Amino acid sequence: MSSESSLFSHRWLPALLLAPLMLLIVLFFYVPVFQAFYWSFFLEQPFGGGSEFVGLQNFQRVLSDPEFWGATGRTVVFMLTASSLAVVVPLMLAIAADRKIGMSYPARNILVWPKGIAGASIGVVFAFIFNPFVGLMAPLNSLFPGLWNPGIDGTDAFITLVSAHVWSGIPFNFVILLAGLRSIPPTMYQAAAMDGAGPWRRIFDVQLPLIMPQLFLTFVLEFTESITSVFALIDTITGGGPGGSTTLLVYKIYVDGFRGFDLSGASTQTAILMVFVLLLAACQFFFIGRRINYER
Amino acid sequence: MKISTLATTVALLGCTSAAQATNIEFWYGNTGNVEVAIKAQCDAFNASQSEHKVNCVGQGSYEVSMQKAIAAYRAKNHPVLIQFFDAGTLDLMLSGAVEPVQDLMPEVKWDSYIAGARAYYETSKGKLFAQPYNSSTLLFYTNKTELEKAGVTETPRSWEGIIEAARKLKAAGHACPFVTDGDTWRILEQFSARHGLPIATKHNGYDGLDAEYVINSTFAAKHLANLVEWRKEGLVRLAADTKAGNYTAAFNAGECAMMEQSSGSYAAAAKAFDGKYELTVNMAPMYKDYTRHNTFVGGASIYVMKGHKQPEIEAAKAFLDFLRKPEQQMSFTAATGYVPVTTDVLDVIAKSDEANSPKYATAKVGVESMNQPATADTRGIRLGFYVQFREVFMEETQKAFAGQQTMQVALDNTKKRGDQLLRRFEQTYKGKQLP
Repeated sequence: MSSESSLFSHRWLPALLLAPLMLLIVLFFYVPVFQAFYWSFFLEQPFGGGSEFVGLQNFQRVLSDPEFWGATGRTVVFMLTASSLAVVVPLMLAIAADRKIGMSYPARNILVWPKGIAGASIGVVFAFIFNPFVGLMAPLNSLFPGLWNPGIDGTDAFITLVSAHVWSGIPFNFVILLAGLRSIPPTMYQAAAMDGAGPWRRIFDVQLPLIMPQLFLTFVLEFTESITSVFALIDTITGGGPGGSTTLLVYKIYVDGFRGFDLSGASTQTAILMVFVLLLAACQFFFIGRRINYER
Repeated sequence: MKISTLATTVALLGCTSAAQATNIEFWYGNTGNVEVAIKAQCDAFNASQSEHKVNCVGQGSYEVSMQKAIAAYRAKNHPVLIQFFDAGTLDLMLSGAVEPVQDLMPEVKWDSYIAGARAYYETSKGKLFAQPYNSSTLLFYTNKTELEKAGVTETPRSWEGIIEAARKLKAAGHACPFVTDGDTWRILEQFSARHGLPIATKHNGYDGLDAEYVINSTFAAKHLANLVEWRKEGLVRLAADTKAGNYTAAFNAGECAMMEQSSGSYAAAAKAFDGKYELTVNMAPMYKDYTRHNTFVGGASIYVMKGHKQPEIEAAKAFLDFLRKPEQQMSFTAATGYVPVTTDVLDVIAKSDEANSPKYATAKVGVESMNQPATADTRGIRLGFYVQFREVFMEETQKAFAGQQTMQVALDNTKKRGDQLLRRFEQTYKGKQLP
């Protein structure tokens, strides 16, 4: 027995303490996932009047549907742009807040606050901020009419979505990265400075390599999170439009399943998305994760 | 001690509720002033008798209501009465989850429903599946004050007339002559119906599940292409082009001068215009070369769901009877602008001294619009996964409005994707017959 497990005197106690959480995970994650995989091999009537086994037909249909690939493509673009920015922006803020510049103490505090705001609320606020008539871009719009309108132009809508996502990702990533930076012994910078390294050099050669574990963690979480957590933002800001330009896979699944009552199609896409996310996380750990040095 | 008190209370509660009226639930999807009117009807029903009690639960929207009903039905926890919208008709008819109202209540004079309202919800043998509730149809709203300011003295009735008026408005510096949200129901379905154009083969699916969409080859395609051109010219605006961001709000605020919208919006528009602008409501516009046919009944109807005990069914019947009463239909019409669709109610309104009162304005025009000569293609829409088709149509046409593709390409794509939906629906309900 290792030292951790000897914390509990009774062998069933740990299991008992875990049980409520496990129950919730099984009930709200494993059961629905199993159901989705099961339905993806059937044509299921919405009201449960009957279902027909169709083998891989649903997968064939989905994989040959240009709409599915369109949504997948947008998901990948979003994942790359939004999650990269959602790490890089907090990284810059964290590096700035780590230095003893003016206001860095209050900034460390204030930048964490948005964590308490729900995705849907952020969506409502950003829809207002980027409103073409009353929002931030309104003055530009009055100079160049039609320059910015997320309700008509798909690219504008996508930019709005990415901005909202990056903003909502700041607090968590900021905390993780700042904690990483704070744990670097100051003697390291002092030694680097003594050797003549400038501030940029110190960032790239000392700070970044030493916070690799934190950077890796935020990237992994962001990449997988950005695929699913964007739902609340899409639903409140764009509704998937205009012209499907912000219909990412997770939103398409919702629309097909819950607005169009196509349970089989939605289940099939859920199964595919699920496998994709797992593969993505596995790749990250396999190719990048192993190269990271966790020892200091 | 505490536990025993609790047990006694529970037992007491159990006894009282057993002795009380039969409680049933009714789910609806409307919000705003329509929800207020629905709640008022529920309260009135509960106050009018003590045998039954209906608990009316708002679900926020038609889609959410249907989605919850599906989940609830699968969990055998569904309400007795539920309001569903027009687009879900076929999904419900084949679901096996609802009892046709005409089977349940053969004694009711269902003939009193006007043909335009019946056709949408009845089987091929003429049996009504659901009781029409908040019925609406598409009407043409104008801001007469703004039109007159631009020198348009007569309210236009045709598309040609609307465009002429829109050009005058634009010349007078009006930023938003005509506004639409490009919604499928408004710009495709109701347009096709009143121009006598089919939406799909097999008479919009009434004659079989193997129908195919034809929207890319009828005159509707030309009209939709016109809308794109008119938008470029600055005559037609989309919801996203308006400051209000919502086309009804843009019209109600006076930002836009004309719109096509459900009769259900009348009460809100009249209230917003009060004292500021003059409102006119007419039948939706036609192209001059076409003869007018009926518009579809829109809005929603009430279905009785299967799997409930007799006392609950009785309560449901009593509530449906209550809703059919002329005075109930009239007060609902007056409060919302939805249209009464039974002849007895229309007679009562016509004979009353309020026949020309603005609160019944939509009833007159709406019923006139739904009573125009019908063809086999203007009965309604009986196409599977139709809610999803509406999404597809919106998505493709939005791309056309944004200039990413022509309207013809958008409609060709819509047809292709729509047909795939129909084939999958056909396969999902393999072996089932249209009732």
